[in-house]
Amino acid sequence: MPLPPQLAELTAAVAAGKRVDTVRLTQELLAAGQSPTTIVEQGLVPGMAIVGEQFKRNEIFVPEMLIAARAMKEALKLLEPLLAAAGIKPKYTVVIGTVQGDLHDIGKNLISMMWRGAGFAVVDLGTNVSPERYVAAAREHNAHIVGLSALLTTTMPAMKDTVRQLKEAGLASTKIMVGGAPITQAFADSIGADGYAADAGTAVELANKLVGAAA
Amino acid sequence: MTSREKVRRSLAHQSGPVAVDFGSTGLTGMHVSCVAALRAHYGLPIHPVKVCEPYQMLGEIEDDLARILGSDCVPANGRGTMFGFPNEGWHEWRAPWGQVVLVPAGFDPREEPSGDVYLYPEGDKTVPASGHMPAGGYFFDAIVRQEPIDEDRLRPADNCEEFTLLGPADVAHWRREIDRCRGETRAVVSGIGGTGFGDIALVPAAFLKHPKGIRDVSEWYVSLIERPDYVREIFEFQCDIAVRNLATFAEIAGDTVDVLMICGTDFGTQNSQFCSPATFDRLYAPYYRRINDWIHRHTRWKTFKHSCGAVRPLIDRFIDVGFDILNPVQCSATGMEPAALKADFGGRVVFWGGGVDTQRTLPFGTPAEVRAEVTDRLRIFSPGGGFVFNTIHNIQARTPVANIVAMIEAIADFNRAGA
Repeated sequence: MPLPPQLAELTAAVAAGKRVDTVRLTQELLAAGQSPTTIVEQGLVPGMAIVGEQFKRNEIFVPEMLIAARAMKEALKLLEPLLAAAGIKPKYTVVIGTVQGDLHDIGKNLISMMWRGAGFAVVDLGTNVSPERYVAAAREHNAHIVGLSALLTTTMPAMKDTVRQLKEAGLASTKIMVGGAPITQAFADSIGADGYAADAGTAVELANKLVGAAA
Repeated sequence: MTSREKVRRSLAHQSGPVAVDFGSTGLTGMHVSCVAALRAHYGLPIHPVKVCEPYQMLGEIEDDLARILGSDCVPANGRGTMFGFPNEGWHEWRAPWGQVVLVPAGFDPREEPSGDVYLYPEGDKTVPASGHMPAGGYFFDAIVRQEPIDEDRLRPADNCEEFTLLGPADVAHWRREIDRCRGETRAVVSGIGGTGFGDIALVPAAFLKHPKGIRDVSEWYVSLIERPDYVREIFEFQCDIAVRNLATFAEIAGDTVDVLMICGTDFGTQNSQFCSPATFDRLYAPYYRRINDWIHRHTRWKTFKHSCGAVRPLIDRFIDVGFDILNPVQCSATGMEPAALKADFGGRVVFWGGGVDTQRTLPFGTPAEVRAEVTDRLRIFSPGGGFVFNTIHNIQARTPVANIVAMIEAIADFNRAGA
């Protein structure tokens, strides 16, 4: 069955952050009998992928990304109850937070939104998260990925400590991703993280790669 | 040559010894723990260091330390703090990392058994806290106190409560402060507040008891695109007040002040910008231009723009709207390679910063690595003036004192070699 043109329109609406159009198109597609899974996978996810690409190329900036994510969130409000009722769960779960001692969350929130937009289940622990909370949440949710964010040089040691505790917890199938302004690939490697992403777009690509590797 | 002459030469893009700043603004200072460590290292009298900026917990760099550091600048400070209480009435406080510091009277924290510390606007504990230093932290972050947003009832005036004319207490303070700075042999750096547009650190308004309007960080960024007229009205009101305050301040300060810190709005992230050039042109440029034009028409002050991050695509615009000085010159961000910045913009803007990376080299490198980087930056940025040495933003807590000392020695050696 050919895909209805509204799916492409939905993709464009999400990418442009048009909240009203995104909600209307989602409603129209549902009314026309399109499955929530298709709407997510063929409509919303490609839209947020465009956002990630444009962000990486500096064609859009933080405000535009936030607006697109809000549009997506409105559509998901309609779709998630239907997906839950049908027993459909995202294939992969990520746990994310800003490390202990650090209250900064813009970067963490952007990545969280992009991961949601890529079809991951996201458990957001917020800011100032202790290593113990990361470990407990990773266990509880069988996380495929744990994402650690830090903005401050003074909290980079907390990131190192968290990675160590996650490793020691023996969560063999859980990959650890790190990011934040002062973080580099070299630092990520030195603390034993499985991946480092410099921006929210790259974080999606890397997460997809890591869960593929972990599957 | 006096320190002031050194700075003025550099601001005029003339060659000479490298001018240095440590502590003349809330963006070019040091964490209070680093100040204490340096005092101990250099054998200066040991006493509790004043926290001159309680939000970032910056320490006062007194004249004895400033001389050793070779700082050529001195601040003329405003009366207030980020938390709305004045910087006066000092008392001792033991910080969570064990250091006894001096804090102003309004600094009356709630300290939780968990180690979290909370501060209150105007020191008033009957209203919700506006600042939070998490356990293990070294400074405060603003607590967002966002009332539910009703689009139909949003009024730009709600976001303008903080923009007021200088009152009699402020004027009296500035007269005293400027009198203190008369006859200074160092460059005087000041700032009157209210001249920066949309500074995200100020949006949550940690100084207000009941902030209204848009106070959430993400909501503010969204407003740049979804509510541009709302933002424009705030900036318009703010700019009118700022220009009137500048006129008042200019009468008091005159030529005693060399540099005025205008705006701390960060336009850069580590790899990109917080807004497009088009948004900058539409929303910010007209107001920056008005402020800078007024200052350049009526005073001899040089205007100071701070923006962290990868701002190369915006530097031409900063220059075009009239800024004389760019800080902190975050060379670790994308597109901010020092040699290319100097080549492309060095003749048109003064780089105040860029001296050493505070994300990597200074906190985590060896003294030898610090020395090498500092010397490299001095070689790149100093030719032809247009450079005031400073670290890239404030020196953060936990920075090894040996690294700070290596930096200071590298600057002194460079200036000696060039003399």
